[in-house]
Amino acid sequence: MTFSEEICLPYLRAAQNPDGGWGFRSGSQSRVEPTAWALLALDQVFPANAASEAIARGVRFLSDSQLPAGSWPAAAGQGQGAWVTSLACWAFLSANENRDALKRGLSWLVAERPGDSGAWWRLIRRLTAHKKVSMQNDAYWGWSWTSGTASWVEPTAYALLALSASPLDLLPPQAGSRQKLAEGMLFDRMCPGGGWNCGNPMVYGVPGEPQVSTTVWSLLALREHAERSEIQESLAWLEKNWGSIQSLASLALTQVALNAFDRGNSAFSTTLERLYEPDAISWNVPVAAWAALAASGKKFWLQPERAEFKN
Amino acid sequence: MAVRRVANYQADLSSVLFETLREFDLPVRGKTVLLKPNLVGLDPLGMMNTHPAVIAAARESFLRLGAAEVMVGDGPAMDRDTQAVLESIRLREFAGPLSRFFVDLNTDDVERVLLKTRASRLRELYFPKTVRGVDFLVSLPKLKTHHWAGVTLSLKNMFGVIPGSCYGWPKNILHWAGIDRAILDINAAVRPDFAIVDGIIGMEGNGPIQGVSKTAGVLIAGDDPVAVDSTCARIMGLAPEKIDHIARAATFLGHIETQKIRQLGESIASTRTPFAVLEAFRHLRQEAA
Repeated sequence: MTFSEEICLPYLRAAQNPDGGWGFRSGSQSRVEPTAWALLALDQVFPANAASEAIARGVRFLSDSQLPAGSWPAAAGQGQGAWVTSLACWAFLSANENRDALKRGLSWLVAERPGDSGAWWRLIRRLTAHKKVSMQNDAYWGWSWTSGTASWVEPTAYALLALSASPLDLLPPQAGSRQKLAEGMLFDRMCPGGGWNCGNPMVYGVPGEPQVSTTVWSLLALREHAERSEIQESLAWLEKNWGSIQSLASLALTQVALNAFDRGNSAFSTTLERLYEPDAISWNVPVAAWAALAASGKKFWLQPERAEFKN
Repeated sequence: MAVRRVANYQADLSSVLFETLREFDLPVRGKTVLLKPNLVGLDPLGMMNTHPAVIAAARESFLRLGAAEVMVGDGPAMDRDTQAVLESIRLREFAGPLSRFFVDLNTDDVERVLLKTRASRLRELYFPKTVRGVDFLVSLPKLKTHHWAGVTLSLKNMFGVIPGSCYGWPKNILHWAGIDRAILDINAAVRPDFAIVDGIIGMEGNGPIQGVSKTAGVLIAGDDPVAVDSTCARIMGLAPEKIDHIARAATFLGHIETQKIRQLGESIASTRTPFAVLEAFRHLRQEAA
């Protein structure tokens, strides 16, 4: 049996809550983000009959969690949508489920603008240019973590991944222009020399240090631009960083990105088994999902195959 | 509050802290304690985050005082890979297997809290249940400057209890609400019962991440976070009355005036080590006050 079959699948199945959702850890509150990751992994990596009931329950949890505006909240009880909307949409796409809910989610996503997209905000930034501490091109913006706040790398990358995986007939007309702006934002926020951090490539004249997760999501979101030097530099940073990896999350995500560009590291499986510890610090639902996706060696899950929607 | 001179992280920090804590008669026997260090991101050079030796010593000290359980918890703001952050500072070498005591506040179960104060635009925040449920909360920051707030000490350190799983990495909702005001609302909602500041090696200049290390050679501890931060600021050569969130916190969360702060151990004058600040914060310097 593979690591995914022996470790990831049983863990993900056991961690599902009675309400159909997944928390970040086994036994914790159901949340949209870990539920989406669990669904993506179960649906894309394992045979159809391995977890069909779990997937159906998880999809029902996501459907029930959707807000009237079409978005999803980061935590139950929050009345406003957040970045997890992208992940929920992606999970629905993967499961070919609930076309109407997906369409509403995508509509919300395309309409949702970050706080730094407003003309007033950009004017204030221009007028206070001499006080600028972070160098960025304000003409570009993407998506924020929570409603009305600034654009950041990770939520922008998630939105691009969900939008690029969506059938065109489900996307509002403005989707294309939002994607172009967001891609521009990601390229603008790359750290000097390659890689991304949360979105501060230069603060008070000091270059920011890249981080694994944000570099991975950016590379996946920009994978159609593989020929660009920024992508190649960033892939090189990830490859060079391999020897410094000390966590399962970083390991799995690094391999996910490298796989997408056909540069997967052959040492992944042995490193995964060396680092694996079934404790709550290093091993949780998203990490188990990422490990399964990475171990699959495939990149197809980024653009889930679209059969007919089941409903 | 107490100021202790400590030369380096190889000193007997457990003894220093235990003897310091004993002077405060803290109500921790049989209680659950949460230590909240400042773990911002990957820190292989060891100047950004609360040093693991201080974390381990604090944990040991509270256990010696009879606490039933001493957890360590944080929600790193800039890197969602908490395990990577913990491994980069080698916390397990100092304090043992992480799963026995560490809580990732970023992904903890959460509960909604209506804010008692209206310092910022925020009306509610989701807090980790671990933070809300613990008997005794200790803010355990590093002595650093901050390029938006002026300084990051025990009050600003409480940003780290706000879960990234609800608000992202970084927790930008707090910046948009006004950093100084959000600090007040958070501390009013979950006021630290005690603070221990790792000032053995701090950070000056472009803190809290990209500054340079600054040896101050002190541990500062106290049961009034405003008094602790005020004292820290004075040791750093800064005027706490000029630091917005400390000055505002002094109106309802604690004391800023030296005459109202009972000082144990070393004096501020003898431990004063002026920290370099960014040009925008020159007005905070005590000689400029």
